[in-house]
Amino acid sequence: MAARSGEKAPVVALAGLPNVGKSTVFNLLTGLSQHVGNWPGKTIEQKTGVMQYDGLTMQLVDLPGTYSLTANSVEEQIARDYLVKERPDLVVAVLNAASMERSLYLVAELIELAPRLVIALNMTDVARQEGTKVNVGALEAALNIPVVPMVASRNQGVKDLVKVIGVEYSQPTVGRIVKHIESGSETEGDISHIAQLLADEDTTPYPRHWAATKLLEGDQQINRLLRERVSEGRWADIDSILKDKEATAIAIAGLRFDWVRRVLSTVQEKRPLGQISLTERLDRAATHPILGLMILLLVMGLAFAVIYGIGVPAQQFLEVSVVERVQGLVFNQMTFLPDWLQGLLGDGILGGAGLVFTFAPILLLFFLAWGFLEDVGYTARVAFVTDRYMHAIGLHGKSSLPLLLGFGCNVPAVMGTRIIESRRARLLTVLLAPLIPCTGRMAVIAVIAGAVFGGWAILVTVGVIAFSLVVLAILGLVMNRFVLRGKRAALMMELPLYHTPNPRTIGLGAWQRTAAFIRRAGTVILIVSIVVWLLSYFPGEGIEESFLADIGRWLEPLGKLMGLDWEMMVALLTSFVAKENTIATLGVLLGQEGSGLTEVLREMLTPAAGIAFLVAQVLFIPCVATAACIRQETGSWRWMATSIGLQLVLSLSLAILVFQIGRLIET
Amino acid sequence: MRSERVEEYLEAISKRQRTETPVSTSSLAADLGVSLPAVTEMMQRLAAEGLIEYEPNKGATLTAEGSRVAITTIRRHRLWERFLTDILGLKWDKVHEEACRLEHATSPETEDRLASLMSETDTCPHGHPIPDKDGNIPDQGVGLLSEFEPGQKVRIAAIGRETPDLLRKVEKWGLKPGVVVSIESKDSKGSMGLKLDDREVVLKKDSAAALLAKPVGPDEETVKEEEVPISRLQAGESGVVRSYAGGRGMLGRCLSMGFTPGSPVRVIENYGRGPILVSVCNSEVAVGREIAGRIMVTRKRG
Repeated sequence: MAARSGEKAPVVALAGLPNVGKSTVFNLLTGLSQHVGNWPGKTIEQKTGVMQYDGLTMQLVDLPGTYSLTANSVEEQIARDYLVKERPDLVVAVLNAASMERSLYLVAELIELAPRLVIALNMTDVARQEGTKVNVGALEAALNIPVVPMVASRNQGVKDLVKVIGVEYSQPTVGRIVKHIESGSETEGDISHIAQLLADEDTTPYPRHWAATKLLEGDQQINRLLRERVSEGRWADIDSILKDKEATAIAIAGLRFDWVRRVLSTVQEKRPLGQISLTERLDRAATHPILGLMILLLVMGLAFAVIYGIGVPAQQFLEVSVVERVQGLVFNQMTFLPDWLQGLLGDGILGGAGLVFTFAPILLLFFLAWGFLEDVGYTARVAFVTDRYMHAIGLHGKSSLPLLLGFGCNVPAVMGTRIIESRRARLLTVLLAPLIPCTGRMAVIAVIAGAVFGGWAILVTVGVIAFSLVVLAILGLVMNRFVLRGKRAALMMELPLYHTPNPRTIGLGAWQRTAAFIRRAGTVILIVSIVVWLLSYFPGEGIEESFLADIGRWLEPLGKLMGLDWEMMVALLTSFVAKENTIATLGVLLGQEGSGLTEVLREMLTPAAGIAFLVAQVLFIPCVATAACIRQETGSWRWMATSIGLQLVLSLSLAILVFQIGRLIET
Repeated sequence: MRSERVEEYLEAISKRQRTETPVSTSSLAADLGVSLPAVTEMMQRLAAEGLIEYEPNKGATLTAEGSRVAITTIRRHRLWERFLTDILGLKWDKVHEEACRLEHATSPETEDRLASLMSETDTCPHGHPIPDKDGNIPDQGVGLLSEFEPGQKVRIAAIGRETPDLLRKVEKWGLKPGVVVSIESKDSKGSMGLKLDDREVVLKKDSAAALLAKPVGPDEETVKEEEVPISRLQAGESGVVRSYAGGRGMLGRCLSMGFTPGSPVRVIENYGRGPILVSVCNSEVAVGREIAGRIMVTRKRG
């Protein structure tokens, strides 16, 4: 990045708990100079940016929000590996002034690993509301670490923070007062015993004493790493101590909290009142088994009303006024181009990837709504309310968040599974997410149901969506019972205080997610659109004679079982590119103009075939973007293939079943 | 509103009644530091208001109404003391007088708020039980420390007289309520030798008589409060984390969220199924029922 000539820019890492306004602080420090990528080898989002102070350019890295530095989750592993391996020049710990105990617990761990620390004491306004106050000078004196009080949500204290970071970098505070918090009478013996056993072993990059502590804390990653390096006999010794000393983990955490409470007794001017806060009163309703569920339905209903109320007209506008107009331009004005190039531009690229792109406004709105609910603090309550239902399918409440995201687009849903700690629960959620009808599929259902069922369209639409959710639940039950057996993950999550949303954080987040979608539309989807178009164009005797039609005809026997002609099968196939493509394909195959499609469909499909097609469509294999994302998130081609295979079998067999039953009723 | 003096008298009578019925005017004069005629005059007034039954030369007994007023005053007094020490951080030898002033200026609403704020404790800083809202005072089964015999192991329950002087001495001796001591010796004058942890303290008889204590059974260590899974706590109940049962699967996460032994917790919602909502480290944490079944706590009453 923007390093000064030849010299590496100092690196500042931002650490902190979840829900302490860390991303807001990050946004304020970096402005728009952000880069969003992934942590190497991991699928957790990594944000980096640049900040300036007094002619000094510093690179800022946002570590994942963590409660500790023991590898209980991927986030924690990333955060501490970054500190140990990359050795940032300075670490900024963002604390929540209203929840000092847990915040300082993380500081207790950071102190061991970060050579230079600055504390950003955020949310001092919330602390004041809670009736507590941290004495900044006393905290600085107690830790010998510079402390900057701030209210990031109101842009207060940022300049001070930048200045303190700059000063601390150029003239570091010398002398750490606090050392070895974890050493106490119940722990020191065990820690040094294990450290001794590791004395001749290679624990790099981790400090030996620290690695011994983490082993005792039950850190699986360190355990695996050292098990490979240490000789078998020696490891047996270590392992027997670890088995014997399970309580030491509790003692170590206890010592950290003892330290935290000692520090707090001198720096906290008033103990938090522990009063029944507004948040608690609101949660009486929001987490209630019945009332909470009603609130959830209301909130989602409202969100979708807004999303579709504004998003669908915007999508229509882009489709009609932008994509179709450019298509017209290509076909009517650019006649100097060869036919195949016109077709490629107009039908392949614009009709495929271009059409997918028109869904960006709906997604942007969806992500805005989601970001709003997230920033207000509501999404954590959703996890709480849905937990008991998710249990039935072997998941816990956190899984319902990515599944809800799936109603917007399955891609963020698959990515959203990152918040789930257990790999088993995450895989199951990844497999289930593509069964959620996304906006693209809903658009298809709306068009087809409208064409075939007229007045009954709404009922059919709702029915098909409900059907897909029932299938999802049954699949979850079956997978949980018979396939992905194993220990169930359990819910353990903080419900943050409700607070006024920060438009900047929400806007930036929604924009980054939408931009990722657009980038995908420009790459994977573009390529597949072109391939599909090539198949429909060559060998060049018109679409009826194309390779695509050949494939469709080859599939016709299968289609007949569902009452579908080859055109419908091709439409189903092309939904692999993007679910919305079904409509575009049918438009190309069945009518010269999209307007005639409704009549053709009504004549072509009996009600039984219509429903069969909708069932097949709504459950059909994940679109190419989702499939790519599944591959990326699970790190395995096998899981992607499993997901595709599973849904292929599921959708076709259920569609056949529906058609055959429907035919019996019709006759 | 009843005058401060009246409440003051009723409180004093109520406290005396535990050892003396009816309460003589001379004891009251001593407790309140006023003259005998003044007490007599007040007795007549209180009797006229129906707050006490008073027989000249014998003494006073609280009526039901008088008892109610007295206990409310005591409740407010002890709640204030807790507030002053725990929240405002005043020393425990200063709070009695402050509370004496505050208790008379306390509305029922303030009293309720105080009670919910201090719900984690059921005694005043000096160890005296805080009466509940209905006026019940839990019986602590205590006796004067001076009346126990060598060889007995007792827990200091409360400090009888709340004079700053005595309280400062008690603090110096390390005999605050809750401390367990074994009685080593007792001489003819009543001086007692006490052993606590690693130290020994010798108390004169009158000092020992100023402390209330409760015998510690040989098996108290084992029948100490019952540990229950946190999922067993009802909404609104508080407890203290003690240990973990079962595997260590989520132990790390539990610890970093603040569920360490000794941490106070309060259950906000518990619907019998589904996750429970717990307040720990001053924030709300959703805990899945299966983990909640493994975090063992002891209940806090009150």
